[in-house]
Amino acid sequence: MSNLKDIRHRIGSVKNIQKVTRAMKMVAAAKLRRAQMNMEQARPYAHRINEVLTHLLPAIDRSLNRLLEVREPEKVGFVVITADRGLCAGFNTNIIRRATEILKPYKKDDTQLICVGRKGLNHFRSRGYNVIGQYIGFWRELNFGHAISIVEQITDLYLKHDLDKVFLIYNEFKNVIQQKVITQTFLPLVLTEDLVEEGKVDFGEYLFEPSEEQIVNSLVPRHLNIQMWQALLESNAAEQAARMTAMGNATENASEMISDLTLEYNKARQAAITKELLDIVGGAEALVHAQG
Amino acid sequence: MSTFHLEIVTPTRVYDEGEVAYVRCPGIDGLFGVMANHTKSVFALTVGEIKIIRENEEPRYFATSGGYAEVTGRKVQLLLESAERSDEINVERAKEAIQRAKDRLSQKQKIDVTRAESSLQRALNRLRVAQR
Repeated sequence: MSNLKDIRHRIGSVKNIQKVTRAMKMVAAAKLRRAQMNMEQARPYAHRINEVLTHLLPAIDRSLNRLLEVREPEKVGFVVITADRGLCAGFNTNIIRRATEILKPYKKDDTQLICVGRKGLNHFRSRGYNVIGQYIGFWRELNFGHAISIVEQITDLYLKHDLDKVFLIYNEFKNVIQQKVITQTFLPLVLTEDLVEEGKVDFGEYLFEPSEEQIVNSLVPRHLNIQMWQALLESNAAEQAARMTAMGNATENASEMISDLTLEYNKARQAAITKELLDIVGGAEALVHAQG
Repeated sequence: MSTFHLEIVTPTRVYDEGEVAYVRCPGIDGLFGVMANHTKSVFALTVGEIKIIRENEEPRYFATSGGYAEVTGRKVQLLLESAERSDEINVERAKEAIQRAKDRLSQKQKIDVTRAESSLQRALNRLRVAQR
């Protein structure tokens, strides 16, 4: 049986950990509220821009903007969006696992990674992947400028033929207890087959004002920036939600452990008292016998 | 009169305007109006005023700083960088913005003139629409 002092010590340390997890849960909850609001506000706009582009893709002349070029995917880029910190259950590992899966069929030399968030960066850099871009430590002051600079780097490489295809991998906020890992082809802009099958694509002609060229040249970059921005907002909200849930669970587990340990402690204490009593009673008995 | 569905979507808000008869938008090449059964089109919009007409109702106005309009027979979507309904515009703030932009433009120092001018245009537009 473990001795009383040991158990007391363990209860103390579990209580301390619980204090930390409870505080982290509360911080995450506070951050989540803002992150979730920002994400939900921006969602309809991002989805509609995407919708309009989807409608237009079959109608537009791809030679108008070089971002619309579709090439044989020889050099493939991956934008991997994780968090800077851990302690958020499967949030980072799910992304890293999915990214690793998609990376598998390609040779390491043909792939380039842009890591958003420190966790993904550390993982892939230490395993010898080509990390050509890193965006870390900005989540706290996340703004549209971050999306723009990431997109700038990608489009630059795409236009220079240093990348032929770019995947975007991030956590989407489904609800407070669920995140969904999304893999999205960021470039080239092509229609996904399921959209065509669902009949969401309408292959009709469009009238463009002032001109098709002007619309395409302003809409395409805007679309890319907005999609990246939405991915960052989603990931940010999902991270806070994941951490809140994880720390909530940890706090509960700590409570359970404390009550188990307290029970054990009381049992041990009682056993010790009983033993002492037995000693005293035994001693007294012995004295009685000796006198008698 | 036949109507169509109008929705105004900005990065921060969605205005579902429901069934309307007519909408007038500030296109890059000038104002244009859309009625029901308009041919499928996409317009680029600039700073200006959006006028919405419903049957038997006073027209409604929005101030916008530009974006896109997607028109399909029964539906019009306005994807705008910003949109404010005339009765929601903060006149004081618009006036302040005008003053700020004018001050900046009157300085002889190196400033981003295009940026200052476009923010002046946006503020003037907001004020104009607010006074509708």
